[in-house]
Amino acid sequence: MSANRWFATGNFYTTYREEQRIFVTHLDRLFFSLLLIGLFAWPLLVPTSNRNMLVINNILIAVVAVYGLNLVTGFAGLISIGHAAFVGIGAYTLAGTAGAIGESHVLITHAWPLMILASGCMGAAFGAFVGLPAMRLKHLYLAIATLSFQMIFSWTINFMTFFNQGQMIPVGRVFWINGPVGRNEHYLFWYYVILVTAVACGLGVRNLLRTRYGRCLVAVRDNDRAADAMGMHPGLTKVYAFALAGFFAGIAGALHTYMFRGAGFESFTLHHSIIYLAMAIVGGLGTLPGSLLGPVAIQILELQMEHLSEWAGALLPANMNLATAMRPLGFGLVIVLFLMFEPRGIANWWRICRTYLKLWPFRY
Amino acid sequence: MKRFHYRRWVVAVAVVLALAFTVPVQAADTYKLGLSLAITGPTSDAGNPYSKGVEDYIRLANDTKILGDAKVECPIRDDMYETAVTKRNFEDFVDQEIVLFLSYATGANQALAQDYNEVQIPVIPASMDKSLMAASKYIFLPIASYSHQYVGVAEYVAANHKGGDTPKVAAFIHPSAFGRAPLDDFKNAVAAGLKLDLVEVVEHGKDLDNSALLQRLASKGVQYVLCQTVQSPVATLLNDAQRLGMTAKTFGEKGKITFMGAHYTGGNDLIALAGTAAEGFHWTTSYRLTSEKGPWTDWQLDLAKKYGRDEKTANSHNYANGAMAAQVAVEAIRRTLEAGQEVSRESLYATLNQMSGDKAFASLAAVGPVSYSATDRMGVDAVQLYVVKDGAFRSVGEPFKPKYLK
Repeated sequence: MSANRWFATGNFYTTYREEQRIFVTHLDRLFFSLLLIGLFAWPLLVPTSNRNMLVINNILIAVVAVYGLNLVTGFAGLISIGHAAFVGIGAYTLAGTAGAIGESHVLITHAWPLMILASGCMGAAFGAFVGLPAMRLKHLYLAIATLSFQMIFSWTINFMTFFNQGQMIPVGRVFWINGPVGRNEHYLFWYYVILVTAVACGLGVRNLLRTRYGRCLVAVRDNDRAADAMGMHPGLTKVYAFALAGFFAGIAGALHTYMFRGAGFESFTLHHSIIYLAMAIVGGLGTLPGSLLGPVAIQILELQMEHLSEWAGALLPANMNLATAMRPLGFGLVIVLFLMFEPRGIANWWRICRTYLKLWPFRY
Repeated sequence: MKRFHYRRWVVAVAVVLALAFTVPVQAADTYKLGLSLAITGPTSDAGNPYSKGVEDYIRLANDTKILGDAKVECPIRDDMYETAVTKRNFEDFVDQEIVLFLSYATGANQALAQDYNEVQIPVIPASMDKSLMAASKYIFLPIASYSHQYVGVAEYVAANHKGGDTPKVAAFIHPSAFGRAPLDDFKNAVAAGLKLDLVEVVEHGKDLDNSALLQRLASKGVQYVLCQTVQSPVATLLNDAQRLGMTAKTFGEKGKITFMGAHYTGGNDLIALAGTAAEGFHWTTSYRLTSEKGPWTDWQLDLAKKYGRDEKTANSHNYANGAMAAQVAVEAIRRTLEAGQEVSRESLYATLNQMSGDKAFASLAAVGPVSYSATDRMGVDAVQLYVVKDGAFRSVGEPFKPKYLK
């Protein structure tokens, strides 16, 4: 271990335990603590519009969902293109319950942390079930299996009257210690709930990756036969990878339902599955910072493309309809360029920065 | 000399400042609306001309000073048919203190209904789903609901079918609540005495060939297919029926099938997609069409020309749809100002609710007056039947109100 716990300039690990620490230096810990304080304090210091809070909450919900996708696709190497369906499972667990017992039932309005957890568990159960084919299938074949799940989910929600045939199922306002959370506090309240959830889930993933179960995921991704030979169970590992992904997705779905005060099918389509995948890839597959940076980058890109097309719409001749094409084209182009020139994602930039700082001033 | 100049400047600045802080600036009021709809993504073929209709009418209202010196602004946002984006746009508009919201999709309106109730903002949607009126008392449908249009088509069949038998019909519907909701009202009408025999309900997929479906319907003796969906699946169905020689040349032709539909099944886009196969297709809406001569046609085409729209947009009933939604909103503002009231969400809501009886708004865009009250928030109650003849929709008879649906 480095003598100076604040500024380590190289790798000084002498035990595996040291290498598995969450924070390598005190500076890391301080930086993380300051970041957390900043994230919790800024809404109280800077007045923010409901619209902006909605955008930020959406990003944080996507972060929770992408934790799951990154576990299954990034760490375990299993392609999933039905992740929005898992998010939908969580959302409809809550919304379906609200539809059955009443949107203002005490279970929905008062026991909401329990409902969020239950939605996560339901997501995990469906994840494990969908993960079963992973015991026999790989690569594109597995991708098709997850795509099938997305299709089955779409059909079920759109067909069953229990799910209001895909139309909105409302969910009542939740209660906090001082009474119901009103419209004025709604987005701020959910910002804190989602932030706490995102931080807890992030620490959960970080800790998982320090355990043998987390290392199993990576081992199975790198070579499942070798992992098998070393005593791991590749099939079981793949199933629990899907279950974990389903759990995080389910949590994200429940948060989405509470924040939007209901669930409707439009938020859980194949298009959304592709967006989640884009977030994981752009952020950096197989990295924890990638799960944070990807959703931020994609959501900001989407907003900027929206502004750009709106601005172009005011300048270009009305009958050309060019502005309407700019948004999907520009968005797609940025993703393609990103994949071509930075396939390791934004997390790689973060890694480069950290490496530079770690070695500074002794670069070699 | 220098000192004199200095003093003169100080006095001048003081006078200007005093005036600036004491005399109120007589700036004209600007009232803000907001429109969120699908300009890209699913249903953008309808959303695009709709947005242009709104945009052009707002510009016209300002250019021709319909509100006197006051102006109306209506920022338009693309929500790509995504409820989450619609919600974001709505919150943005509420932050900007809009007085009336122009919305779009059924799903998004249902999702936002609770917000409408809490913000207490009047809303005019592009969706004509009947359930929206129950979801929020602040939602005002511009024209007859999908259910009214669908039951209207069914009533026309029952009233005009020749022969003593009960007409056999099949429902061809969109696989969603949008398609299914009017069917429930249709079934209720049959249960209440509408003489029709519903042989089969078909929830269409994305089939590119409907031969087997059409053969099955023919073998069951189906004479009429009533569609409640969007244009492209109807166009596919019509093309296949034409290829198989099943399309009725005249209404109710024996041994053939007459195809009919409600609002989003028809329009010029259907003719563009189906070509000659669209001939004989019967369609209901509450809007007037540019294929029919009349004052509205000239007005709509002039409006589109004035703001540089292409021919397709100018002739779209969705362009008329958007223009009329904006027209109702501006009219509500005008009446509120006329009554000497301050324009706010509250006063506009009250004004819209009073838009009935002799105060109903006669928009030339629709086949009847727009009337609202606290118990009836469906604007135009009447529907008009059109049929495709020689590549254009022509009106059949006079506008009517469905009897089996109140």
